[in-house]
Amino acid sequence: MTRETYSPVAASAWRILSVAKRHWYVMRRSPHRLFDVVMWPAVDVILFGTIGLFAASRANTASAQVALYLLVGVVLWHVVYQAQIALATGMLEETWSRSVLNLMVTPMREWEYVAGVALFSLVKLTAALGGVALVAWSLYAFSVTSLGLGLLPVAALLLITGWSIALFVTGLVLRFGQGAEALAWGILFMVMPLSGVFYPVDSLPGILRPIGEALPTTHAFAAGRAMAFGEATPWGELGIAAAGTAGLLLVGLGYVTWMLRVFRARGFVTRYS
Amino acid sequence: MSAVLKATGLVKNYRRGRAVDGVDLVVGDGERIGLLGPNGAGKTTTLLMCLGMVTPDAGTVEILGRRLPRRRASAMSEVGFAAGYLPLPNAVRVNEYLRMFGRLYGLRRPDVATREGLERFGIGHLEKAMGTELSSGQKTLVGIIKATLHRPRLLVLDEPTASLDPDVALRVRTGLAELSAANGTALLVTSHNMAEVERLCERVTFLSRGRVVAHGTPEEISRTFDRDGLEEVFLHLAELQHKNSEEVPA
Repeated sequence: MTRETYSPVAASAWRILSVAKRHWYVMRRSPHRLFDVVMWPAVDVILFGTIGLFAASRANTASAQVALYLLVGVVLWHVVYQAQIALATGMLEETWSRSVLNLMVTPMREWEYVAGVALFSLVKLTAALGGVALVAWSLYAFSVTSLGLGLLPVAALLLITGWSIALFVTGLVLRFGQGAEALAWGILFMVMPLSGVFYPVDSLPGILRPIGEALPTTHAFAAGRAMAFGEATPWGELGIAAAGTAGLLLVGLGYVTWMLRVFRARGFVTRYS
Repeated sequence: MSAVLKATGLVKNYRRGRAVDGVDLVVGDGERIGLLGPNGAGKTTTLLMCLGMVTPDAGTVEILGRRLPRRRASAMSEVGFAAGYLPLPNAVRVNEYLRMFGRLYGLRRPDVATREGLERFGIGHLEKAMGTELSSGQKTLVGIIKATLHRPRLLVLDEPTASLDPDVALRVRTGLAELSAANGTALLVTSHNMAEVERLCERVTFLSRGRVVAHGTPEEISRTFDRDGLEEVFLHLAELQHKNSEEVPA
């Protein structure tokens, strides 16, 4: 006697929602996890907003836009950072709670799990950007809405970039175990200085400039800044960023799929049971 | 009797050596099979290959005719798995945890399945308890309920009663036997408790050093090895494995 079940499509949707809900329970009952979502963004806004104001007060009119430059950078940075950290730590949560085996012996497909965590990462991202917007508006009279709707495609590209890097980190954790988890927090900070988040990549030392130019994030940040400063939509930068992001997503998906195969071939699941 | 699980010629090599060496395993519909053997005999690796969690280097696994790994998701909708060593996540309540797994199995009414499961194993009062508030025995029971929410055709249990008090172990055995009788669920169980296996399982497969060394009813196996019960067979095989002997009776 079997139980009544959903159609395959509805069952898939419920699985995705259930994974998202499971992560909601974890965050709700572990307030310290809100640090990444609330505190870091607020600290960054205060830090870079104040640096910008200080620089503007000591410089000429042209430099007075430094505060805006930095605040736009912080807002966009937290799109990519929160997307990456939420997805990567979602997977890590299963290793910490030794739930990997329990989850993998259900009908859930790997992509459904990733979709569930990605869905919850959108909730965290919204909360984090809400915090960023509130602090920027209340302390620096900077309204995120002034950036305009044109910034949405830039945010979408940065979101996908964050998820792609998280998939890569997940692949590393599958392959190398929890020893690789430091990368969940650290890997983006290798990308940050090269991506021109708070300055144009022209300012980088010559030897690093080509690396910066090759990163899709560099072009996404450049496009975002151009629009924030009222310039025409930089289609060229957006196109390069979109192509680079698509490539990065393919690499992330390919790597995590490969590592999942290695994970099963070498019996690494016993690390988490 | 049709096969719920059919594993043929399973081989798995790890860096330390061959863990499983040509294991064949068939579990019929509603059958209760014990998979026994000393530590390092290859029981868990065999189970994990049967569940699609470890890829065999050779051999095939089919669950209700669905070949792994290609049809893993579909096959897993007919399988439940619980292990005495798997913990519950800390940040969820028992009913939240069970509801979530009910949804993962595609159930329309996971609440009903959750309540039924909790009542079957006599822990209805723990519905709203947090994972951290449960004893190890209660966690094991919740794990078994999780594995049976969707009334699977095959229930795979790895050391289900390890670290349980005798009364809780009895409740587990009774619940599993009832479940098997009521729903026709086949059981594949590993355990170090030979008395428990003799009570619960109709047939037993003994592994030693990655190979099947005996298969049959507990009585047949005792006769094959000329020993008085599975416990003595187990001790005999453990000693042979320890000595790294090649003389294992077929």
